[in-house]
Amino acid sequence: MADRKRINGPPSGTKPPVFASSTKASGRPQRQRQPNDLRKLFLKTGLIPSASGSAYLEFEPSASLSAARSSPQSLIPPSSALKLACTVHGPKPLPRSATFSPNLVLTTHVKYAPFAARTRKGHIRDSSERDLGVHLETALRGVIVAERWPKSGLDITITILEAEDDRWWGDTPDSHDAPWGMMNVLAGCITAASAAIADARIDCIDLVTGGVAALVSDQTAEGEASSPKLMLDTDPAEHKAILSACVVAYMPSRDEITELWLKGDSSSVSLEKGDSRSGHDALIDGAVDAARGAHTVLAEAVRESAARHSGLPVDAATT
Amino acid sequence: MVGPNVTLTPLSRADGSASYQCPSTGSNILGSVNAPVELPGRRDALKPEEATVEVFVKPGTAPAGVGERYVEGIIKTMISRLILGREKGYPRRGVVITLAIVGGQSARRGDSYLTLLPALLNTSLLALLSASVPMSMTFSATSLAVTSTGDILREPTAEVASSAASVHVLAFSSKGHLLLNESQGAFDLDTWDNVRERALAICRGTASYGSDGDVTMSVDVDGQPLEGTIREAVEDQVHRDYAWSIDAV
Amino acid sequence: MAPAAAASPAAQPTPPSLSLPPSQFARLQPHAYLLAHLSPPTTSNHPSIRANGRAPTQFRVTSANTGSLTHTNGSAVVRVGETAAVCGVRAELLHTADIASWSVTQPSTGSANKRRKLVDPTLKASETAGDGDDEESSDKDESHIEDLNLLVPNLSLSTGCAPGFIPGAPPSALAQSLSQQILSLLHSTRLVRADDLRIWYQPPNLGPEDLERHNESEQMDVDAEAEGEKNREIKAFWVLYIDVMIISLAGNPFDAAWASVLAALRDTKLPKAWWDIDNETVVCSDAVSDARKLSLRGMPVASSFCVFEADAAAGWRAVILPDAEEERKIAEDNRRGAQRRWILADPDGYEEGLSQERACIVVDKEQGGNGKTVVVKMEKNGGWAIDGRELRQLVDVSSQRWDHIRQILEQC
Repeated sequence: MADRKRINGPPSGTKPPVFASSTKASGRPQRQRQPNDLRKLFLKTGLIPSASGSAYLEFEPSASLSAARSSPQSLIPPSSALKLACTVHGPKPLPRSATFSPNLVLTTHVKYAPFAARTRKGHIRDSSERDLGVHLETALRGVIVAERWPKSGLDITITILEAEDDRWWGDTPDSHDAPWGMMNVLAGCITAASAAIADARIDCIDLVTGGVAALVSDQTAEGEASSPKLMLDTDPAEHKAILSACVVAYMPSRDEITELWLKGDSSSVSLEKGDSRSGHDALIDGAVDAARGAHTVLAEAVRESAARHSGLPVDAATT
Repeated sequence: MVGPNVTLTPLSRADGSASYQCPSTGSNILGSVNAPVELPGRRDALKPEEATVEVFVKPGTAPAGVGERYVEGIIKTMISRLILGREKGYPRRGVVITLAIVGGQSARRGDSYLTLLPALLNTSLLALLSASVPMSMTFSATSLAVTSTGDILREPTAEVASSAASVHVLAFSSKGHLLLNESQGAFDLDTWDNVRERALAICRGTASYGSDGDVTMSVDVDGQPLEGTIREAVEDQVHRDYAWSIDAV
Repeated sequence: MAPAAAASPAAQPTPPSLSLPPSQFARLQPHAYLLAHLSPPTTSNHPSIRANGRAPTQFRVTSANTGSLTHTNGSAVVRVGETAAVCGVRAELLHTADIASWSVTQPSTGSANKRRKLVDPTLKASETAGDGDDEESSDKDESHIEDLNLLVPNLSLSTGCAPGFIPGAPPSALAQSLSQQILSLLHSTRLVRADDLRIWYQPPNLGPEDLERHNESEQMDVDAEAEGEKNREIKAFWVLYIDVMIISLAGNPFDAAWASVLAALRDTKLPKAWWDIDNETVVCSDAVSDARKLSLRGMPVASSFCVFEADAAAGWRAVILPDAEEERKIAEDNRRGAQRRWILADPDGYEEGLSQERACIVVDKEQGGNGKTVVVKMEKNGGWAIDGRELRQLVDVSSQRWDHIRQILEQC
């Protein structure tokens, strides 16, 4: 039962602390950005020299979080900002036991640090982490020119140091509830992996980026739910009810989508007046817009990586 | 002080084995060595020009855990430096040392294994000798505890060690080199120098120190040096094994 | 390809047609490459320097940053050169009711705790000056940390930090022994005080006012405290999950990991917690003003070293090894300048691959008081180059390193 390869805690298990509901008064953090404003991204390549490519990605903390950081009042953080590190090892020969493959074999691995989320994560990958890995693999497989490395493998490992919340901590899980935070994490993973692959100088057909959009019905001051609004790059902690959300992996110069993940009910949603698009069309358009926004940051990071590698054949990835 | 109780080759199926019982700590270790053996399934990890040394420590009552991995690492680092892994027949093969703690106390979680380490090291040496694995030198190891009043105690039990200010494990080669030092707990280097001197006396005797009056005292306290005990155990075994040849002469 | 040709890679690149560039020579002949750097030909005026440009006892640039992770009670990122460790400390509660052996092993908390409590105020005052006087009184109490597994450090290398660690695989032997080293160092230095982790409850046998007052126990005078002492009981413990993720591994993971644990624990704040009699559970206050930092014992800092030997084949044909006599000759040679062994501080991955003998020294200057260097852990293994004299030098180097690390930790 106890994990013999790790140091275990008390055999009876422990409970996370329960806080006296005192300072909930501070309330749900409010979105300070315009609906189509994105959070700033910090993306840097080449921080892990032993890997063939690496990238570190961080979202800008939301207004409420940075306020809580500068003048701490409560021990409960209002929201959190994604922080992750991505490494690429390879292309390298496949292990002896593997069967022949004419293409580059892509392996993706996403793992949360135990302290990444509001509840402590286990050391062994759970289903959501496996799920993220599969989504990421689909997003990247369409981008890499896999025929150039027969009999080779490429390992992409992502460690999430801080994840996005799925909802505001004060909310009880309700019918609208879904792991919305995971979608933001996936978008971050795609962008970071893309930078790391370019940093490893693996041939790609385009620079793929991730973007998230969501249909949100925020409560107005009167407590009446207004008509759902399309928001880009949503922080789930800032919204009472997310109706549906969508994450895409998008290649801007080819205008292609390699991965699309849509969650929630968007078909019955009628948007504001004057917008005749169906709910999911609007969502996908929104997510693509968000991905376009991330692309400028990614291009800058890749340029930086190319400059660092200068003298060697670079720019293979920036077609 | 009563010396350790040593038996060579108690196991008939292993290439070499030894059992070692330390009366003062109560630890009782049974070690076996298989060498050189093929290590199937690990062909990629094998070094092309050297033998691969593997050490397994099995605690008496529980399955092996993180603490055992750590002490295995210590033993492996030390032993691999002494084994002549490039001798004929050894490269690309394995030397597998298995040490089972059959008596005495097992280490607790987070315990650093220091009280058991000398017995484990001495057992592995004897088992290696019993398996005739070529080595560049032999060694002997001991543990010492320094109490908060500054007294140095030889081979402390786990209880004594946990209340001591610091615990030290030292191993000396047959040529007087300090091969291993594991010290834990607060101490300063002057204390450590005393510990080293005492440990050297325990392991190798004090003959090399000249004929000082005090020194002969300490020989009485520590009894026969450990190295001598190990040497005699091997000599006795060789004598028994070759009795037919000696008698024939 | 003479080693001498590669000795000056920075100064003058050798002609490409005839020999290899330094980076390739470093890969093909790593031992000769490092040796050429450390013992340059006497004709050249290059100083003896490591291949990474450092002096033998020079550590890599170290930086630390604390408190950047949102969901932790304390966190730190420590970078030692290109090795980076992230440590997050999470506190969770262990109710004594859940501990199977609790009621058996704690028949009456009376005398020991009473004594402890009386000692406490003086303790708090003398904390920074050094805590020699609590050593004896707290021995029994401190065993709670070890007996109840209140500290749970785990180190992970499966982060893609270096090739060869398969992500998703169970922790490698290296990761396991690093975790174990961190745990045993936490125990042996008694860095975390058991008293910081206890959550007490005082039954209101003296009326409800006393309960109120108990919550502000600082203002309570010792006499009143002693009266209700008999009934005071521990209701729960904080368990600290200390998780270290090695994000980038370029040699010497232990120093970086331990520094990150130390920095994260210094950053850790535990919320104020009390026993809620109505709900029969422990409730915490989320106000930052109520939370308190851990009061750590001292500040142990780890420094690791490796030994590089000029004779690469020593282990090969060393059927006849130098004994004490020859050893003396070697020492003489050293003095004359023909050095055969170098002790390198804070080895990077390249140097670690070329050496077998390691040493690790953990020193603390706060614990002993008045700036005296106390060694709390000293390890050497894997060879016979380091003995008493060398260890003495290494302790000096480590105590200089301690001053440096203290500066870094106090700034963040």
